[in-house]
Amino acid sequence: MSEYLLEMRGIVKEFSGVKAIDGIDLLVRPGECVGLCGENGAGKSTLVKVLSAVHPYGTWEGKILFEGKELKAANIRETEAAGIVIIHQELMMAPYLSVTENIFLGNEILSFGGFMDYSAMYARAAKLMDEVHMSDINVAMPVMNYGAGKQQLIEIAKALNKNAKLLILDEPSSALTETETKILLDLIKDLKRKGVACVYISHKIEEVAEIADTVTVIRDGTHVGTKPMAELDKGKIIAMMVGREIKNLFPREEHPIGDVIFEVKNVTCWDPTNPERKLVNDVSFQLRYGEILGVAGLVGAGRTELMSKIFGCYKGIHVGDVYLEGKKLNIKTPRDAVAHGICMVPEDRKRQGIVPLMAVGHNITLTVLNRHTGLGMIKGEEEMSVIHQQIDRMRIKTAHALLPIRGLSGGNQQKAVVAKMLLTMPKVLILDEPTRGIDVGAKYEIYKLLFELARQGISIIMVSSELPEVLGISDRVLVMGEGYLRGNFVNDSLTQEQVLTAALGKKPSLAA
Amino acid sequence: MNKKKIQGFLSQYKVLALLTAIAVIWIFFGWLTEGDFLTPRNFSNLLRQMAITGMLASTMVLVIVLTEIDLSVGYMSGLLGGIAAILDVNYHLSLAANVSVILVLGVMIGLVTGYITAYMRIPSFIATLGLMLVYRGGVLGLTKGITVGPVSKDMVVIGQGYLPETLGNLLGVVLFALFCFIAYRTRQNRKFHKLAIPAMWQEIGKLVLCGAAILAFVVVLDSYEGIPVPVLILLFIVGAFTILSNKTVFGRHIYAIGSNIEATRLSGVNTERVRLIVFGLMGLMCAFAGLTTTARLAAGSPSAGQDGALDAIASCFIGGTSMRGGIGTVNGAMIGAVIMASLDNGMSMMNVDTFWQMIVKGSILILAVWMDVASGSER
Repeated sequence: MSEYLLEMRGIVKEFSGVKAIDGIDLLVRPGECVGLCGENGAGKSTLVKVLSAVHPYGTWEGKILFEGKELKAANIRETEAAGIVIIHQELMMAPYLSVTENIFLGNEILSFGGFMDYSAMYARAAKLMDEVHMSDINVAMPVMNYGAGKQQLIEIAKALNKNAKLLILDEPSSALTETETKILLDLIKDLKRKGVACVYISHKIEEVAEIADTVTVIRDGTHVGTKPMAELDKGKIIAMMVGREIKNLFPREEHPIGDVIFEVKNVTCWDPTNPERKLVNDVSFQLRYGEILGVAGLVGAGRTELMSKIFGCYKGIHVGDVYLEGKKLNIKTPRDAVAHGICMVPEDRKRQGIVPLMAVGHNITLTVLNRHTGLGMIKGEEEMSVIHQQIDRMRIKTAHALLPIRGLSGGNQQKAVVAKMLLTMPKVLILDEPTRGIDVGAKYEIYKLLFELARQGISIIMVSSELPEVLGISDRVLVMGEGYLRGNFVNDSLTQEQVLTAALGKKPSLAA
Repeated sequence: MNKKKIQGFLSQYKVLALLTAIAVIWIFFGWLTEGDFLTPRNFSNLLRQMAITGMLASTMVLVIVLTEIDLSVGYMSGLLGGIAAILDVNYHLSLAANVSVILVLGVMIGLVTGYITAYMRIPSFIATLGLMLVYRGGVLGLTKGITVGPVSKDMVVIGQGYLPETLGNLLGVVLFALFCFIAYRTRQNRKFHKLAIPAMWQEIGKLVLCGAAILAFVVVLDSYEGIPVPVLILLFIVGAFTILSNKTVFGRHIYAIGSNIEATRLSGVNTERVRLIVFGLMGLMCAFAGLTTTARLAAGSPSAGQDGALDAIASCFIGGTSMRGGIGTVNGAMIGAVIMASLDNGMSMMNVDTFWQMIVKGSILILAVWMDVASGSER
């Protein structure tokens, strides 16, 4: 038997003549954690789909050996039976079913007569919870009572129940807070000691650097290199991913900042599902002309709720006033906000940003279509010329302006969403997690764009969960925690520690 | 089985597949009826039959694109047709007044449906299921369960009249000239905005094909009695809805909402209003369909329009409208309506029992949706 648990060699997968991945090797030793890195569109998901038989044996070239035997799986059930379990980026849980029922979904323990043996399942589920260090979870409670972090661990418990020898974690931390991520990483280390190997796919290089023994980097569908982590550091991994050394991740540019243009006073938002709870608690802040205001905080700090309220799309009960250029605004719907010159690039690109079936170009002009009409009809050619301008300006990579946007990579989709909002000529631009799930190169371009916009006098509010990003971009940083505004800092030699301390602190500490 | 290949084929050549289906159905019935099916007379009949379904399908397609559904259109058109008959027979209202009243009433009833779905947030499936019974009760109450007729001669023209030959020919010429003009304008505009221009031979080829289709249409209908009035009305409706769905902001918003309502709302589009208006238009089309039905039967029948919803919905799905919203064209729905009408007409000519016709049509609806599901990529 070879030294490897999993050997994928020379994997080639074509989609209608285009090679999505071209000769990739992925080797995993027993009990080892391999970090798989690559920009969006590099071919990570395709590789995972080949391994998990979403693309079944025969639709790709190359060889997969698992425990020395060639794997020729036709579907996911067969790969899982072999001991390879994938944990997806988006959690696949049935929220109203109990933790136990979720763990055993499709794998139920049956008693005589084909009925579900709940006692046996509860007992086994409790044992699994111990294994993932979550003994405090009530396995009979519906999954929806637990947050994203715990659900992620329940997913892992589910995988362990299938006797997984190899876990594939695809962006497992994208919805987790830092504490939850730490718990997840600790668990993976623990599993490693127990002999469970894993492939860890993540954009967050810090996590990969912390946990991986070996790192495999792919770029544009080709294999760039595999090295032990000991020989690498963050910068080297990023350099391998993008194929160039990015010296400065944040292309900071000086831009003048003017007087206060926009003001939010005493905003409070109540939880729509639990009217007792305040998600945003009496928050006020000001924004200056041409200023980039970063809003930091942990997941669940109330940042998205605050932005939704400003933009007129908060679903629950809310109070508070919004002033633009000294005038009080009455914003009831996103339409009102856009009309007043306030735009938002929403957090969830897939659900709130893009209109997937529509062309890239038509997505871009969705906000301003009314301007390009004559006799009630769209002036198609005028619209097209606007579209081409925007695609050039934002450097959106698409084969044709009229291809559906869902075929584009995350970064290009995001640029199109930003273009859509910028066409309305906003005075205030709100971006909620603008770089989530997009690759390093596209992030860089978005940062550059933000500075350019600020120089043109647009005031920007950027909500982000990535502290380096907040510190690298913002002129001023607001910190939120548990619905309160807990810090208001001028971004001058501000450190991640200071921001985090404020976010976790009990009392609002307003400076500057 | 290569699933991917079949999927690709189904989505790429949908229109071609549909036209082939029409050809196969026509040849099949032509052969079974020894050519009777393929006469100009029957062609004219078929188009008249299809007109009512076509009117309903032209808006139904937009309703389905919005990921909504309207199950009540059959009975709504029945109710509006019944009211038209009563106004004509009992109150001797002039045709112009009657038509105006019915059209306005149709829009109002449609807006009620729209209000219930868009603003009161009752799913359209449930709302229109309930309204279906309301309208049915309404028509039974108003007509007291008996046929109201005969309606005046003026009214009958809407359903049974024909356009004089010269007018029909003129219409064909005007239509062709319009197409040429639009092609020319588009070219000029593209040049002005420095966009790529398709090759001249492509443009001319398209226009020649278009002209040939118009010519064939007019000549065949002229060789019977001319273009039937309901078909003429349908042509105008289809033209209007094609422009509405392709060329207007409102149309673009419909497709955007169907594909992702949340993103569209956050782009500052009044999504509720768009949905309200689409249902209003649906009501308007029910009014057209109801008037045409009453005129065709020369009476208001309490059972008129029963199959309207099924025929219209099936036409949309056959014509490539996606069940999951965001995709669907008015032209596709019209091809679907032709297929439904051909099946109806062909089976009737062969004296197939009504129950068999129902079984066939119901199965076709399910088959069409299955085609949509099979050709759709994962979303």
